[in-house]
Amino acid sequence: MKLTGKFLSLALVFGLGTHTGTADAAVVAVVSAKSGISTLSENELTDIFLGRLNRLAGGELVSPVDQPEDAAVREEFYLKFGGKSQAQLKAHWSKVIFTGRGKPPKRVANSAEVKKHVNDNPNAIGYIDSADVDSSVKVLQIGK
Amino acid sequence: MNPHARRWLHHATQPQWLFPALLLLVLGALWGVVFHLLDVERATEERAAAVLTGELVETYEAQVVRAFREIDQTLKFVQFTHASMRQPKDLLRTMNERGILPPEILFAVSITDPSGKVVESNKADVPPNLAVQDYFIVHRERPDDNLFIGQPLKGLTGDALLHFTRPLRAPDGSFAGVVLISVSADYLVSGYEVDKLGRQGMLGVVGLDGFYRVSRIGNLVLSGQKVDYSSLVGKTDPDKADSVRMDIGLDGIRRYTSARELFDFPVAVVVGVSEDEQLTLFDQHRRSYLLRTSLASLALAIVFAILGRMTWQLARARERETLATVEHAQRVEYLAFHDGLTGLPNRSLFSKLLVQGIHQSHRYNRQLAVLFLDLDRFKAINDTLGHDAGDELLREVALRLKGCLRESDTVARLGGDEFVVLLSELSEDKYAANVAQKILVATAKPFVLLGNEFTVTASVGIATYPQDGTDEQTLTKNADIAMYHAKEQGKNNYQFFSTSLGSDVFSRMALEGSLRHALARNEFELHYQPKRNFQDGRISGVEALLRWNHPDLGLVEPLQFISIAEETGLIVPIGKWVLKEACRQSVAWQALGLPPVPISVNLTPRQFFDTPLLAELKSILASTGMAPQLLELEITEGLLLHDVEKSKRVLVELRRLGVRIAVDDFGVGYSSLATLQRFPIDTVKIDRSFIRDAAEKSGNETLTAAIIAMGRSLSLNIVAQGVETKAQADYLRDRACDEMQGFYFDTPAPGDRLASLLKDQAGDPSPVPPSDGLLEE
Repeated sequence: MKLTGKFLSLALVFGLGTHTGTADAAVVAVVSAKSGISTLSENELTDIFLGRLNRLAGGELVSPVDQPEDAAVREEFYLKFGGKSQAQLKAHWSKVIFTGRGKPPKRVANSAEVKKHVNDNPNAIGYIDSADVDSSVKVLQIGK
Repeated sequence: MNPHARRWLHHATQPQWLFPALLLLVLGALWGVVFHLLDVERATEERAAAVLTGELVETYEAQVVRAFREIDQTLKFVQFTHASMRQPKDLLRTMNERGILPPEILFAVSITDPSGKVVESNKADVPPNLAVQDYFIVHRERPDDNLFIGQPLKGLTGDALLHFTRPLRAPDGSFAGVVLISVSADYLVSGYEVDKLGRQGMLGVVGLDGFYRVSRIGNLVLSGQKVDYSSLVGKTDPDKADSVRMDIGLDGIRRYTSARELFDFPVAVVVGVSEDEQLTLFDQHRRSYLLRTSLASLALAIVFAILGRMTWQLARARERETLATVEHAQRVEYLAFHDGLTGLPNRSLFSKLLVQGIHQSHRYNRQLAVLFLDLDRFKAINDTLGHDAGDELLREVALRLKGCLRESDTVARLGGDEFVVLLSELSEDKYAANVAQKILVATAKPFVLLGNEFTVTASVGIATYPQDGTDEQTLTKNADIAMYHAKEQGKNNYQFFSTSLGSDVFSRMALEGSLRHALARNEFELHYQPKRNFQDGRISGVEALLRWNHPDLGLVEPLQFISIAEETGLIVPIGKWVLKEACRQSVAWQALGLPPVPISVNLTPRQFFDTPLLAELKSILASTGMAPQLLELEITEGLLLHDVEKSKRVLVELRRLGVRIAVDDFGVGYSSLATLQRFPIDTVKIDRSFIRDAAEKSGNETLTAAIIAMGRSLSLNIVAQGVETKAQADYLRDRACDEMQGFYFDTPAPGDRLASLLKDQAGDPSPVPPSDGLLEE
């Protein structure tokens, strides 16, 4: 599905306007500061967010948490890790949901909510702007 | 099996037919099998495609049903909850918090008020008022609470959206708006898997109204196409699992298609797999099979060609071998029955033919004749000119003989110079004589050998069936006897068999045999006939005459065996012995103190022309101690005249040795004075035929006188042979003959008898009267 008109304008703004600290802001994957997980491979991260993986090699349960569809950070995240556009993402979930083979990640409203969510759920993995990282969350090291 | 069939079968199994036929058969079988397999595989693939389609449609049906139910569950929940709330507010938010809403990423859920205004929605980009939408109008108008699935509508982003709606009711049952779930149409076909459906497969959901809500072919998603629902879906029978038809889709592609109407929902699901794609595998297989079969066929053809060729060559080689063997066998048989030199039938074959001929003649009461012939002077030619010339002569004779005969006659060579002719189907007696005459003429014609002309003659003996014999042995024996008789009759003639001939020729044949051994067995003896001087009647010389003491026959006269000796060549060793003995005898007489008398020895033509003659003579004279001038060699006038030049040469040589030469049988050879003068001769012996005529006072008497005169003029010693009467003796004396010889005076006597004669003579100087007493001895 094509980008929403709203997002288009947002992207324009970002593209034309000054790049704030978040312009090519690094989106990071985060877990609770208390989480035992500290590194993941890119494939693992992608698979978790695409619903293909819900348990790590060590046996830890993981559950992803998404930001809203129109969030810039969301788009960045999926492009950075796994190289999927939103349209591709939608197509992926369309197939998965239609064939009954999974369900999409929980959705929260913004980065603050993400942080709150991961803290409340030690299994949760989310993504936020690196600018929003604080002590309540741990940034995951994503290897290739 | 009848002969035609057998022959046809033999023809049919020749390599040039058999192998191609077999090849065709095998290829036919191979391709038949391959095509059958391909057919079977195609049918299997078709069935598989059909089955696949059936399975896919079942799966798809289940998926679509589930999707619809999930959507409808949500709608029903909202419907129910809304109806039970007096002031429904934040319904969706609550549901969202509870996780009861469908995933926001795909589904937009909205609630309107009775005017169509969107009261709540999980998405921000929903149009504010939906009053104009078909679904809204439907629900507002219709009293039921049922689900409505509207036409696909283009959403804001341009993609088709499907809308699922139910009406909302106020507690009093009045229309309170609608609850709507919209989803991108392609959601329903997002389960399309290329692995299963291929790139040209089809998934679709079609409404009962015939409009496709969504359809997908490969990656192409379409909405809104109109089809004839009843023809597409037909009568769906839930129990009928495989109602798969071939359908040509809207894009013209043939697909195995299956459609099922959903139980609960007003749509049918459609699944189709492209015939081409499904059978691609089959196609590949087919190509691979065909290629491999083609290669195999080619290989087979080559193998068969090679095998066929090998078999053919083998057969040909065997044929050739058989032919060669047959030819060889034929050749061997031919050689077994034919003479190698002349190509004529040989003794064995002739024997067979004769027996056959006798049977035929017996059966049909006909005569047949056997002619034996041999060549009279063959041995001379063979010895003088060599075997090559002899062979050539024989070949030529064979040809000439064949030329004298009819088709039904046979000529065979028995060996040496002996030939035999079989005249079958003798229609008349004269025929045999005619043939014999023809043969004589043919053989008498000169032969050219080594560039020179030579003549031979033949002697022919004839025996006829049934007169002269009724079996093979008798006929051949009698023909042989007749031939010998012909020889005795002077050769170059033919003789019929007669019973009187039997013993004579037997004796002749026996003679030849014993003659060969006579010398070795010392069966020879010399007798001497005195020659007397006409003046005083005293013995002036002797002639040595050969006698043969045959163990069975007794004393045999030269007349009987000399010709055999001459022909067989036995004359040479015999003659040598005669010379030696004569010389020995003469020397022996002289040793007795008897006065030396010349001794005459006859030489036959063979002896005379025998090359070692001079050398032999020389050695004999030397070894015996004989004085050459006491030895006189007698040769006939005819012999001299036969080859004048050669004879002269020989005589000259003989003269040089010192021996004396006498011409015997003088007068019959018609030699002239001139010829006689050329020869170095000492004595002339007048042939007895003249002496016989001498006293007759006939015309021949003049002849005799003339001959004597001739001899006189040559200053030769003249001897009269065969004087038997006084009248003859007187006549000759008057004519001044020098010596005489004949029974009137003496008969030939052995050496010791002569010795006593000479002794008497030596002691008695008086002339010896003609004595009749001698005759008695």
